[in-house]
Amino acid sequence: MGEEIEVKKCGVKFKPPAIVVTYLLVETSKLHRRTMPLRNFTKNSDVSKAASDLRTHPRHGQFVKGLPKSQLERLICIIRDKLCGMSLEASLARNEEMQKIDSDEDLNKVDPELLARKKSVMEDTFEKNQKKPGDADFEYDLQVDFDNQIVETCEWDSEGSNEDF
Amino acid sequence: MANVAPDYDKAGDDGCTKVKVICLGDSAVGKSKLVERFLMDGYKPQQLSTFALTLFNYQTEVNKEKVSVDFWDTAGQERFNNMHPSYYHQAHACIIVFDTTRKITYKNLPNWLKELREYRPEIPCLCAANKIDVDVSVTTKSFNFAKKHNMPFYFCSASDGTNVVRLFKDAIRAAVAYKNNSTDFMDEIMRELENFELETDKKDNEVDSGLDSTGNSDEQKQTTAS
Ligand SMILES: Nc1nc2c(ncn2[C@@H]2O[C@H](COP(=O)(O)OP(=O)(O)O)[C@@H](O)[C@H]2O)c(=O)[nH]1
Ligand SMILES: [Mg+2]
Repeated sequence: MGEEIEVKKCGVKFKPPAIVVTYLLVETSKLHRRTMPLRNFTKNSDVSKAASDLRTHPRHGQFVKGLPKSQLERLICIIRDKLCGMSLEASLARNEEMQKIDSDEDLNKVDPELLARKKSVMEDTFEKNQKKPGDADFEYDLQVDFDNQIVETCEWDSEGSNEDF
Repeated sequence: MANVAPDYDKAGDDGCTKVKVICLGDSAVGKSKLVERFLMDGYKPQQLSTFALTLFNYQTEVNKEKVSVDFWDTAGQERFNNMHPSYYHQAHACIIVFDTTRKITYKNLPNWLKELREYRPEIPCLCAANKIDVDVSVTTKSFNFAKKHNMPFYFCSASDGTNVVRLFKDAIRAAVAYKNNSTDFMDEIMRELENFELETDKKDNEVDSGLDSTGNSDEQKQTTAS
């Protein structure tokens, strides 16, 4: 543990199912490749569980943590689609669709796996914008007043049947 | 894992006031992240196995009064478009959340409010517009829902922390005020009527109570329990 790495590329292997990561070892500036098999992975396996297992894996964990969570889930999903007999083109298209966040899509109504994927996509932005204890500009009780900045009514209020609003 | 939900009517250990604060809103609006951001790592989650809910306890003081707050979070039950009655049972305040990047979550607020008011006609409710870090220009817009229902409104971000602590501290204060002023026996009635359909249609004409309304309780009890 502890060597600083930068993930450069990632991909999949189908037989046996594995995630492949090409990374730079910062200390030596050399590229390395690591193949991480998905153990006991079948067409019925849970994608987000397989992803979190890999992320918390004692040896492999550090090599996939540099990947956005949604990207790792996407790779694992592509492997599973293949196990289910889906063509690569179909799987890529399906996965692209899964990763879209649609302002009108009711996420109360989607299946748990799709919800988990959408949350992973959102999580990427969450982590990018996050201010954590230890960050220079972290403030526990950060208060900002926006009241005097309001210049317009949100367009969401001005359409459709709105008796409830 | 506990099987029995705490009773918020009993006094807590060493006489502190026990209150329950719940979060409502669509899947993925950030309810869990908001609670986590407020509590940082000083929390002790407790799983209620029976109802698949998570409870976070938080000890604080409000006006020299010792307060023990339980924040209730769902374990994804909002996916079924409504919550188990036990989620609302004895709640003293509610934080209703939408995602400023997804219109549908705003459009669904009336449904959540309606359900809340079926169980808790008059507890204070605060409205959180979350994820403003994604596009901070939303903060130049007004959202009528909160205004119309007399709710305090907060632009916030669980990610960068904007106004999260303020939101939760206000919710705690509102919960304590509600508990101290009200001689609310709705919960008792609820328990007795467990398998009973409450009349809820009438409530559509009622004015929803925001932070500062604890009056008119008798009137509302009658309309609800008749
Ligand atoms: N950018 C950003 N993302 C957020 C914020 N709050 C939550 N999220 C993301 O939205 C997704 C859903 O959050 P979660 O707390 O699980 O929502 P819940 O279903 O309402 O409990 C997660 O992926 C979070 O990372 C926020 O303030 N800003
Ligand atoms: Mg949640």
